[in-house]
Amino acid sequence: MSRISHNGQLFFSFFKSLVGKEIIVELKSDLCIKGTLHSVDQYLNIKLKDISVVDSEKFPHMISVQNCFIRGSVVRYVQLPSAEVDIQLLQDSARVEARELKKK
Amino acid sequence: MSAGAHSKSPSDFLKLVLGRPVIVKLNSGVVYKGILACLDGYMNIAMEQTEEYVNDQLIHKYGDAFIRGNNVLYISTQTSKKKKLLVEFRHHRQ
Amino acid sequence: MSDEGQKNNQDGGMVEEPLDLVRLSLDENIYVKLKGDRELYGKLHAYDQHLNMVLGNVEETVTLREIDEETYEEIVKKEKRKMEMLFVRGDAVILISPPVRI
Repeated sequence: MSRISHNGQLFFSFFKSLVGKEIIVELKSDLCIKGTLHSVDQYLNIKLKDISVVDSEKFPHMISVQNCFIRGSVVRYVQLPSAEVDIQLLQDSARVEARELKKK
Repeated sequence: MSAGAHSKSPSDFLKLVLGRPVIVKLNSGVVYKGILACLDGYMNIAMEQTEEYVNDQLIHKYGDAFIRGNNVLYISTQTSKKKKLLVEFRHHRQ
Repeated sequence: MSDEGQKNNQDGGMVEEPLDLVRLSLDENIYVKLKGDRELYGKLHAYDQHLNMVLGNVEETVTLREIDEETYEEIVKKEKRKMEMLFVRGDAVILISPPVRI
């Protein structure tokens, strides 16, 4: 996430900057999947590598899965590695994005 | 905008109620009472002095509140218990 | 236009549209009410027009309601957990309340 302007794709750019980092994706179904962020697209669909299910006793059906694709719309939260997040850049980007949205 | 007494649009109603006390009901049944500060085309709403009611019970107060438009069932100006949505709007046209 | 709509804020912005309320809450602690009886408190680091957000130092409260099988009384349980940095998908957002500004 090197630029400040993201053409209305703030979180797409943000997630791209986290590729290779470990995240925990929590789905609306309560399933929590930990894994390495492999890729993301404009809809915030997510591909994870080397996954593990956080509560595997409650959700045993994913135990043999290594990689997965998560449709963005089923995501509730993504827990992020806070050390990898440039908070100042993120806030500045959000302000720029808000201004650009208003111009339209 | 045509001048017919009954032809004003929903957005005219909404412009009319800016800065006035309103009742906002969500699809979930939760009700918010407060001053309508502004709204946009998605029906996102900014309110002031907002009170949150669940089953007619006051459960929360907020100074300012942003409500995401997809949750909104209706915006009403009336403060009595009878459900007469938009009735006041008709009065205000004159 | 309401008085509030004209009010100047320290960011040099005005509340002309609802999203301004969220913009003026950047770098502030906010309260977020989500679908599924979930509530968040945390510092707002970023948001977009869908109300996707990144929050820091988040405390989540989940309210669970159960009916006691014998007495039929409603039992309300609150579960809390903390997360350092959290992306929240906007489609579950119901309400955002910024801190009280004086």
